[in-house]
Amino acid sequence: MTTAREAETATATEASGASGKPIAAGVGGRARRLLGAVFAALVGLFLLAPVLVTIASSLTTTSYVTFPPKGLTLHWYAELLNRPEFLDSFLLSIGVAAGAAVVSSALGLAAGLAIHRYPFPGKAVLDRLFSSAFAVPTIVLGIGLLQWYAQLGMASSPLTLLLAHLVLTVPYTVRLVLAGLAGLDRSAELAAAGLGAKAPRVFWHVTLPAVRGPLIAGAFFALITSFDDLTIALFVVTTDMQTLPVRIFNYLQYNYDPTVTAVGTVMVLFAAVAVVIIERVVGVAHLFGADPEN
Amino acid sequence: MAGSARVADGQALTPDGSAPAPGGSRPVAKRGPWRTGLLLASPAIAVFALLFIAPLFMLVYNSFRTQAGAPTLHNYTRFLGDSFYRDVLWHTLWIGALTTLGCLVVGYPFAVYLRGRSPRARNYLSLVLLSPLLISMVTRAYGWLVLLGPKGPIADGFQAMGLEAPKMLYNDTAVVIGMVHVMLAYMVLPLMGSLDRIDPALTPAAKGLGASGWTCFWRITVPLSLPGMLAGSLIVFSLTVSSFVTPAILGGPTVKLMPYFVYTEATSNLNWPYAAAIGFVLIVVTTILTAVYARLLRGRGGKEVFA
Repeated sequence: MTTAREAETATATEASGASGKPIAAGVGGRARRLLGAVFAALVGLFLLAPVLVTIASSLTTTSYVTFPPKGLTLHWYAELLNRPEFLDSFLLSIGVAAGAAVVSSALGLAAGLAIHRYPFPGKAVLDRLFSSAFAVPTIVLGIGLLQWYAQLGMASSPLTLLLAHLVLTVPYTVRLVLAGLAGLDRSAELAAAGLGAKAPRVFWHVTLPAVRGPLIAGAFFALITSFDDLTIALFVVTTDMQTLPVRIFNYLQYNYDPTVTAVGTVMVLFAAVAVVIIERVVGVAHLFGADPEN
Repeated sequence: MAGSARVADGQALTPDGSAPAPGGSRPVAKRGPWRTGLLLASPAIAVFALLFIAPLFMLVYNSFRTQAGAPTLHNYTRFLGDSFYRDVLWHTLWIGALTTLGCLVVGYPFAVYLRGRSPRARNYLSLVLLSPLLISMVTRAYGWLVLLGPKGPIADGFQAMGLEAPKMLYNDTAVVIGMVHVMLAYMVLPLMGSLDRIDPALTPAAKGLGASGWTCFWRITVPLSLPGMLAGSLIVFSLTVSSFVTPAILGGPTVKLMPYFVYTEATSNLNWPYAAAIGFVLIVVTTILTAVYARLLRGRGGKEVFA
């Protein structure tokens, strides 16, 4: 009797879970579905908890970090304005991130077009290179760049940081552009050309619109990648040129007050805007979808 | 918007969806000489040659030099000959294994759950899944500091039940929790890709032949999702053993892993050759382990699946 029932519940789960068609009837099935929903909600809570806690505890009236916050105040945000070093770091981070976004979009578009439609020597190597860039630990890349810049005698500057960030962002923009080009119907370009449009015109009116979404998404992804990067920045920056993540990281070594949670919240809001834009134009899952090459 | 429509049909979630095989839709007509291609690709090539290949080659070179520049194997013999550093290596791999296991245990049921949802629900849940990757790692780790701390909500919960809260911060537990949190998406996305590729007619067919639900699950769903499990585990493991920030913040003074020593040797001790050697030991060991793991899993009845 029990075994029969167990088998039935198992069947119900399998039917709802594996075949992709949720079944409406059956007490066992419903219980399993409820269990699934509870499990998914717990995973969701696990994923969002640290951000929610950071945002909530930035509103506390206490001088120490606590969750749930005691009282509600924007005091710690006002306090940020009295901290020129945080503002300086924020401006530096934004500047570098904006530069990385623009440059990696341009490089990504050019390289994507080259890989997609032109034969050239070393193409396979380049393609492989972009996928292997993910496999090299960021920390190893960080010390590599530290030693390489020293070798070249290049002093730390926003430009050296921007260049370093390109290694992190360009593979993503190339991948997105390639995905966009794969979805483009070549006959549209041929038709435009056949109707007398010159190559630049075809590019501007047919090709570019097809990759516009991927380009925008890639740019914003590069923006947050650069803005949030700590591992590379730790090796490339100096004490008087600290990006915001480096500033927070160093601050955290000695302090434990809600100022940091206020900065963290600002960064989260910043990332959220970028994410909404990426989600609108291509879907966030697109960015990470193709990671596992091997 | 066209983009949303593409996401809504669920295609965007498959790992291959966004990575067209190079040459998959290559146009037949050659649009110009290879010079055009090279010209277009040259800025990206320059960036990667100068800022990726060159630094890595120099790092390999440096790792075989003394600080004065004389050739030596000392950096590697020092690492491998010292039980302290060997323990650091084992500890790092152990944390990597625990994180991979944690991601599988949480991620597999989650991927199976997502499979049965509407495209819209999948989209929202994927966004939640990816959110840890998109927010600053400092903020993320700091949130865990508050949550797992001795005065945090979890400790409060234990106290409310009259129990003594276990130590949850500055130990392996904290690091693994923090790492599973970030890495979960890298496990779930390839799993979803594999699950989506399973022919939906297989399960009803097996049931029609008398197989129970569990049999179907163990004999169809699990084996056919092995490629996703493999891909997810490999990426989670490699990214975890090379993570620096999350272990540094959540591990405190007790959990010191390989990337930490790469960092301190490079910045505090200014021993660049040794830092480079530690980095390469990490890369080589990780590469060997992932290759062995891939081979083992492929050998285990997965031949047709991976073919």
